[in-house]
Amino acid sequence: MRKKCFRRALTGIIAAAFILLPAITVQASMPYDTYSYNYWGEEVKEPHSYLYSKTITDRELGSRLSYPQDMFVGNGCLYIADTGNSRVLVTDMEGNIRFEITGLSAPQGIFATEDGHIYVADTGNSRVAEFDEEGLFLREIGRPETTLIADSQEYSPTRVVVDNAGRIYVIAYGINMGLVEFDSSGAFQGFMGATEVSVSTFEYIWKNYFSSEAQQERMETIVPTEYSNIFVDRDNFIYATINNLSNEDRESGADAIRRLNPTGTDVLRRLGNYPIIGDLETVTYGWDWSSFVDVAATDYGCYFILDQTDGKIFAYDNDGVSLFVFGHSGIKEGNFQKPVAIGLNEDESRVYVLDNLLNSILVFDITEYGRNLLDAIRLNSIGDSDGATKKWQAVLSRNSNSELAYVGLGKAYLTEGSYREAMECFELGNSKKYYTKAFSYYRKEMMERYLTKAVGILAVLLIVVWLVRKALRVRKWVGEVRCYMENH
Amino acid sequence: MLYGKSLKYVFHVIFHPADGFWDLKREKRGSLAAALTFVALTIVTLALEKLDTAFLFNDNRLSKVNVMIDAFTVLLVFGLWCVANWCTTSLMDGKGRMKDIIIAMGYALFPVVLIRLPLVLVSYCITAEEGTFYYVFGFIAYAWVAVLVFAGTMMTHEYGFWKNVFTCIITVLGMGILMFIGLLFFNVISEIIVFMTTIYKEIRFR
Repeated sequence: MRKKCFRRALTGIIAAAFILLPAITVQASMPYDTYSYNYWGEEVKEPHSYLYSKTITDRELGSRLSYPQDMFVGNGCLYIADTGNSRVLVTDMEGNIRFEITGLSAPQGIFATEDGHIYVADTGNSRVAEFDEEGLFLREIGRPETTLIADSQEYSPTRVVVDNAGRIYVIAYGINMGLVEFDSSGAFQGFMGATEVSVSTFEYIWKNYFSSEAQQERMETIVPTEYSNIFVDRDNFIYATINNLSNEDRESGADAIRRLNPTGTDVLRRLGNYPIIGDLETVTYGWDWSSFVDVAATDYGCYFILDQTDGKIFAYDNDGVSLFVFGHSGIKEGNFQKPVAIGLNEDESRVYVLDNLLNSILVFDITEYGRNLLDAIRLNSIGDSDGATKKWQAVLSRNSNSELAYVGLGKAYLTEGSYREAMECFELGNSKKYYTKAFSYYRKEMMERYLTKAVGILAVLLIVVWLVRKALRVRKWVGEVRCYMENH
Repeated sequence: MLYGKSLKYVFHVIFHPADGFWDLKREKRGSLAAALTFVALTIVTLALEKLDTAFLFNDNRLSKVNVMIDAFTVLLVFGLWCVANWCTTSLMDGKGRMKDIIIAMGYALFPVVLIRLPLVLVSYCITAEEGTFYYVFGFIAYAWVAVLVFAGTMMTHEYGFWKNVFTCIITVLGMGILMFIGLLFFNVISEIIVFMTTIYKEIRFR
C-alpha cells in the first residue's frame, strides 16, 4: 500500500516535471544573455526582450544567398542586397520570395521608399540605381560631378538612403568628407555630416612643436572617419554608425553613432550615464570594442545598434540610455557569424538580422517584457503618462532591477504630486537629476505645512521669555526702590 | 576631570592655533587620551559620512563600502605622518617628542568632526543646486586641518616658517619611503616564508 502510494507520487512528480520543464527551458536555451548596464556600469542580467525564433535560409528564399551585405525592412517586405550573386531579392516578412532584380554588379546597399521604390547602391557599377515597386529599372544616379573628388579616385557607393523629401544620401568607399548628397532629381548637392577631426591639446602641441619631420609625416594620417552605415528615421534624421575608430579614439569618448539633422549636425541625445559605445568593459579584458555596423530606429526615438565584434544588438532610448543588449556570436542556432544589417518591422515586434557568412536572416520575436518596456517608452514620448505608468509597473514586476522603470514610475509620481514616492523611485533608479527635483518639491511642501507652526511656537516662546525677563526686571527695580526707601 | 578639560581645550587650539599648540605642549593642557579620542571621532565621522550621507551627495556604493578599511586608512595615514615627522624632526633638531607629535596631530584633526559631521545632517535638507555650500564647507574642513597640521608641527618643534615648510615636504616624502620599505619588508617576508615552506616540503616528502 505504502509502496503504491510512493510510486504514484513519483509518477506524479515526473509527470509534473515533464509538463513544467519546457516552460523553464525556453528561456534557458537561448544562445545568448540579455542584460543592460546599470548606474555603476555593470552588466545586469534581465529577462529576454527578444527571443530567437527562426532563421530564414535558402529554403524560404528559393536560392542561396552569397555574402549579402545589406538588408532593408519596410513596406511589409525584406529587401536583401545579395552582393555575391549581384542581385537584389525582395521577399515577404517570412522570407518567401516575391521577385528579384538582376543586372547589378555586387550591390552593397539597399533602401526602399514608402511608395515601394527600391534604391540600390550598385557598387560595382559605380552608381545608385532606382527601381519601381515591381522591380523595373527607372533611372541611375552615377558619379557625382564635382571637383571635390579626385578623378583618380574610384566612386563605389556602399550604402544608400532616401529621406521623405527625396534627397538621396550615399556612403561611398574611400570618401571621408561625409555622406554624398543628391537632390531628388539626382543632382549632386554636396557632402553632409563629415566627422570633424578632434585633436587633443597634447597631440597638437606635440605635433607642432616637438615632433620630427618623419614623425609629422606619419601623423598626417589623422583623417576623419567614414560612416559604416546609415538609417533614415521618420523625421528625416539620419542615424549613422562609425566602426573604424581606434582604441584611443574610443577611450577619449569619440562617438560611434550619430543622429544627423538635415544640415549635417549631430543631434543625438547623450544623457545616459555612459557613452553610447556598446559594451563598456571590453578594455579590461583585452577584448575589442564593439564595432557598430548598422542601426535601426523606431518612430519614437529608440534605436537598435548592431555590433559585429560580439554579434550583439544594443538598444538605447531617445536619451541614449541603455535599454537592453541581446544576441551573441557563436556556432549555436540563433548565434551570428558576421552580422551586417539589422531591420525592424513596423511595431518592432520582430528584429531581422542579416548574416554575411551564414547567408541567412535571423529573426527575433519580442517578448511580453520587451513589449512592455518599449510600450512604456512610446507612451511616455506621446505624453500618455497614465498608460506609461502601467507599463512601467508591468516591467518592474518582471525585473525589479530596471532602473529605467523606476525613473519612469518616479516621473509619473512627480507629475501627480506624490513627491515622497517619487523620491523613493528615483533613489532606486539612481537618478540624482530627478531626485533633486522631487526633493525640492517635497521640501517646499513640508515647509508650507510646518513652517507656520514652527514659527508660531518660536514666537510664543520668545514672547514668554521676554515677559519673564521683564517681570524679573520689574521685581528687581521694585526691590531696589524698596531698599532705597528703607535706607532713607 | 583632566581628560574633560583637555577635550574642551581643542576649541581653543583650533581657533588660536599658534597660541593653542604652544600651550598644548608647554603648559600640558592636552592629553594623549584626548588626542586619540579625536582620531577615533574622525574615523567615526568619515564612516558616518560614507554610510549616512543623503542619496544626493553620496556617491559611494553602500554594498561595496568597507568601514574597517577606511578606518585603517585613517590610522595608517595618521601613524605614517607621525612616524615620518618624528624621524625627520629628530634629524632636524625638532623639539617635539613622539608623544607631543601625536597629541598635536590628534587635536589638528578636530575640524573634520566639527564640520563634516553636521554636514551629514545638512545633506538631508539641501537640493543638488544648493550642493555648492555642502562641497565648500567640506573643503574648508580639510583646508583647516591642513593649516592646523602645519601650525602644530611648527609649534611642537619650535620651527620658523620656511624650515617648517621644508620639514613638511620632507615628511611627506618620508611617508612614501616608509610605505616603500614596509611593502618591501612584507614582500621579503612572504618570499622567505615561501622559501621555508618549500624547503620543509622538500625534506618532508623526500
